[in-house]
Amino acid sequence: MVALVITLALFFDFTNGFHDTANAMATPIATGAIKPKTAVALAAVLNLVGAFLSTEVAKTVSGGIIKEGDGIQITPDIIFAGLMGAILWNMLTWLKGLPSSSSHALFGGLIGAAIAGIGIHSINFESLMQKVILPAIFAPIIAGAVAYLCTKLAYALTSRHDPETGTKLTQKRGGFRNGQIFTSSLVALAHGTNDAQKTMGIITLVLIAAGTQEPGSGPQFWVIASCAFAIAIGTYSGGWRIIRTMGSGLTDVKPAQGFAAESSTASAILASSHLGFALSTTQVASGSVIGSGMGRRGTTVRWGTAGKIAIGWLFTLPAAGLVGALTAMLVQTGVVGVVIAAVAGTGAVLYMFLHSKKSHVGHHNAVEVEEAGAAVRFRKKKALAVSRANNKPKDEL
Amino acid sequence: MKWLELVQVAGATLVSAVTVVVLYSLGVRLTAIAGDVSERKPAWLRPLAYVCFALCGLAVLFGLYLIIPYFSK
Repeated sequence: MVALVITLALFFDFTNGFHDTANAMATPIATGAIKPKTAVALAAVLNLVGAFLSTEVAKTVSGGIIKEGDGIQITPDIIFAGLMGAILWNMLTWLKGLPSSSSHALFGGLIGAAIAGIGIHSINFESLMQKVILPAIFAPIIAGAVAYLCTKLAYALTSRHDPETGTKLTQKRGGFRNGQIFTSSLVALAHGTNDAQKTMGIITLVLIAAGTQEPGSGPQFWVIASCAFAIAIGTYSGGWRIIRTMGSGLTDVKPAQGFAAESSTASAILASSHLGFALSTTQVASGSVIGSGMGRRGTTVRWGTAGKIAIGWLFTLPAAGLVGALTAMLVQTGVVGVVIAAVAGTGAVLYMFLHSKKSHVGHHNAVEVEEAGAAVRFRKKKALAVSRANNKPKDEL
Repeated sequence: MKWLELVQVAGATLVSAVTVVVLYSLGVRLTAIAGDVSERKPAWLRPLAYVCFALCGLAVLFGLYLIIPYFSK
């Protein structure tokens, strides 16, 4: 059972990785700052590094949401069921291209499993409110507002007008494209420190529950290493569907905008993980993209897509919880139940994977803007030469 | 309820993101001016742009320094 749970936890880490590549790399890919393949490779490496950077255990994985002690014991069975719920929901949202929070899926699965396996009294609703519900409301708002402001600032500071005629000069905001490489790297790093921790916490929890590790001790090195690699491999395999949604589904992203969005995402995640008010990476990133879309004049935010994402968020907890609960009930029936649950889960994942093959979204078609971006860049260099020659007003970028 | 922490996170996010974006934007702006073809422009423009980029990088590094427990503990 322990081995099974660890495998499942690592697989969850993997889905977490490819689900969340988009958070860091969707905007630079959309603006053509980094080539898609390079972007995911960079994100993978930084996730790996990030996972090793901070070994402060996320012992708050279940984080007091499930009351421990008083005869309530989190068993490997419950964790198995919870992980099942989280993975299935992650796969489903990936299939739909929805950026949904992996941590919420995990929480939802665990809560559902705990309710079914132990009872409703095992849930600490106050800390559920405080650690999951409230951050879910505020994460996109904070990130969106900051990104909005930053986009405005970035555009205001770099808008150039001819002092005499008042016409627009070449804006020359190409520098932001290079900046994006750094800011998106920062987001990937933040994601690694944040999300790999959750799986480490889970595995450590299982090991403690199984009695193979001292209670209260930190994760062992092999746990850290395998989690880091699982999330890195997941990131490298790239969730192109979600990248497409984040990169061009919500709003058209320009370099200055992407830079502002990523700075706010990185600051929000790092600030929150440092100050102990955990925000979901996905929700912060989506909020930033929308905020920066509102901040640039002449951009429209596709609220239809945004609404779909929001509905996805609403369903994350209950849906993952439901699967978690069902699995917990199955598991409680004994070994046969565990086998049925494992087979059914694997089957569902395989089905979704095969189904995804029907409409393939890969690095080649994740963001159509890419080809256009290359064309524009070529044109711009020429235009730059022309405008240098006769200082013709140009409105680009 | 941890309202104070929420406000803290919001404030920290705002301050750090604005710092980075303003410094970088200034850098971009100054590089743009320095690249202009004009007869009279101060020679310190381009170095100043680089100073902005450097400060921006320093701000990021300082943030990382604060966050990675290995350094700050």
